[in-house]
Amino acid sequence: MAEILAGLSAVLAWPVLGFLAIGVCLGAVFGALPGLTATMGVALLTPLTFWVSPEQGLAMLLGIYCGTIPSGGIPAILINVPGTPASIAASWDGYALTRKGQAGLALGINALASTTGQLTSIAFLAFLAFPIASFALRFGPAEYFGLTLLGVSLMAGVSGGHVLKGVLAGTLGLALALVGLDPMTAYPRYTFGMSEFLDGISFVPVMIGLFGLGEVLVQISDRQSAQVSAAAAIGRVLPRIADAKRMARATFSGAAVGTMVGAIPAAGGDIGAVIAWEQARRTSSDGDSFGKGSLSGLAASCSACNAAIGGGMTTMLTLGIPGDAVSAILIGALLIHGIQPGPLLFANNQAFVFSIVFLMIFASLLIMVIGILGAKPLAKVLSIPAPWLWAGIIVFGTVGAYALNNAVTDVWAMYAAGVAGFLFRKTQIPLGPLVLGLILGPLMESNLRRALILSRGDWWAMLTRPILLVFLAATLLSLLWPLVRARRGRAKRSQDTIPDA
Amino acid sequence: MRHADTICGALLAALGCALIVSGAAFPAAAGGLPGAGFFPQAIGTLMAVLASALLLRGLRGRSEGPFSIGNMREVAVTAALLMAYLLLWGSGWFVVRTAVFLAIMLSLLGQRWIPAFGYASALAVLVYLAFDVGLNVTLE
Repeated sequence: MAEILAGLSAVLAWPVLGFLAIGVCLGAVFGALPGLTATMGVALLTPLTFWVSPEQGLAMLLGIYCGTIPSGGIPAILINVPGTPASIAASWDGYALTRKGQAGLALGINALASTTGQLTSIAFLAFLAFPIASFALRFGPAEYFGLTLLGVSLMAGVSGGHVLKGVLAGTLGLALALVGLDPMTAYPRYTFGMSEFLDGISFVPVMIGLFGLGEVLVQISDRQSAQVSAAAAIGRVLPRIADAKRMARATFSGAAVGTMVGAIPAAGGDIGAVIAWEQARRTSSDGDSFGKGSLSGLAASCSACNAAIGGGMTTMLTLGIPGDAVSAILIGALLIHGIQPGPLLFANNQAFVFSIVFLMIFASLLIMVIGILGAKPLAKVLSIPAPWLWAGIIVFGTVGAYALNNAVTDVWAMYAAGVAGFLFRKTQIPLGPLVLGLILGPLMESNLRRALILSRGDWWAMLTRPILLVFLAATLLSLLWPLVRARRGRAKRSQDTIPDA
Repeated sequence: MRHADTICGALLAALGCALIVSGAAFPAAAGGLPGAGFFPQAIGTLMAVLASALLLRGLRGRSEGPFSIGNMREVAVTAALLMAYLLLWGSGWFVVRTAVFLAIMLSLLGQRWIPAFGYASALAVLVYLAFDVGLNVTLE
């Protein structure tokens, strides 16, 4: 108890809260601009924390981290351009709600579900840190392969009724992920002698192109601005009590999924959000509405991608293992301040751990307030004349893609993906599976091959691992579920809409 | 839509076959382990099978809905402008270049020239300040 109070008193100081507020606001800006990521924000501002106390420095960095992911959902909802990779699933239902004139409600749900996800994962961090971390540590290459295989099997589920085209788009994503050096032998594949392709195709420019530029080109071609028509009806921001009750299950199950996936190193909120969305769709009595403006679908994805923050922090603080790039930078920042993450941190400096917990709680609450109060003003972006909005998306997308690596090839990739996104939408090919394949492809290949090296090439030996068996069973269920639903006569093919179109 | 499915199916089937063939040329691994060509061949096979199904569906005329390319002229002009903008990337004068590109695009999309140029200039300056000055991303 004394440690909890010490942690709280260290945080309840104006300089600390001030740095936290600055961090959250900066994170909101970074998240809302496609191409700028939480990693970039934390990395850029880490040097500024060298001259302040550990609590103040960490307050700003955690503020950025906790602010970026929820605000990444804002452009996903308003203009169908995910601000961060974690927000891809949020665009499926969020943008559909905007097109229905419910942008305010979508932004409100984004704020509420994001905070719920973050707070749930922080509770896991505070009370179940070690069991979660030790579970995550049992993941070897075989288990990672199982997880990614499960992710890939969700392609059919996120195809919105166009299963064949969705799975084909997913295989195209997997094929694009082959570009670059072979993960095991460093043999160059499909680089065509260009050094720019050795690192592979970065999925952030592809994501900006597919969802951002592609959407702009579709709207230009249709010349019917969904934004303008929706602007007149931003709608209410906070959900009704009955809606909140209906969303509660999806929100909390999304938070649990996001926390567990986030705790697994290298599996972040992007994967967690897709898994949570698909899981919520399967278990919902109203699964057919997912991808067409389902409140539960939006809540599940927003909750999960934010819960991954707490999951990642759990692994980082308890074991000293970075779950993602942001955690790796945070470890560096902590080390500079003389704090070594790991089991000893919990034994020797519990007050500091609770400081982190309280900082994350305050950051979550602050971003929720910003999200709710800012929903109506933010939704006003929809009243901007459509061509002006298109110009903004194009220039911010272009510069955002370039800013990732200061590489023009990323802008070429974005433009190519934009044209592809336009053609895909016109031919009703879902985009979500393509991004899923691009993200999961490298992880799946490298982990399968590592697992086979460890088992000396024996495929059957891999099947002795219980966690892998659970994932394989879940994958099988995921693939068979649509057939079961079809047989029961409950599946209805949706011909008119797809999640990301 | 029928033609779209047929063309998509044919292109992707060809891509799948290309992956299978090219994967066979990658070095194999020792000890029965999958080499650099294993995944390209596996993905290529899956793609070829699925794309063939789409191709057949297209040829049989089982369309999934109406398909319209829409206002193709404006899309083509925007794409051409984007291409020109990208080809001039790194030639300096980011603010001027971006403002002119956006203003031309907006005017071609039916916006009045003077407000379009004002908005384009403001946007270019904002992006320059945010990225080049604020985040140290070299845009010039």
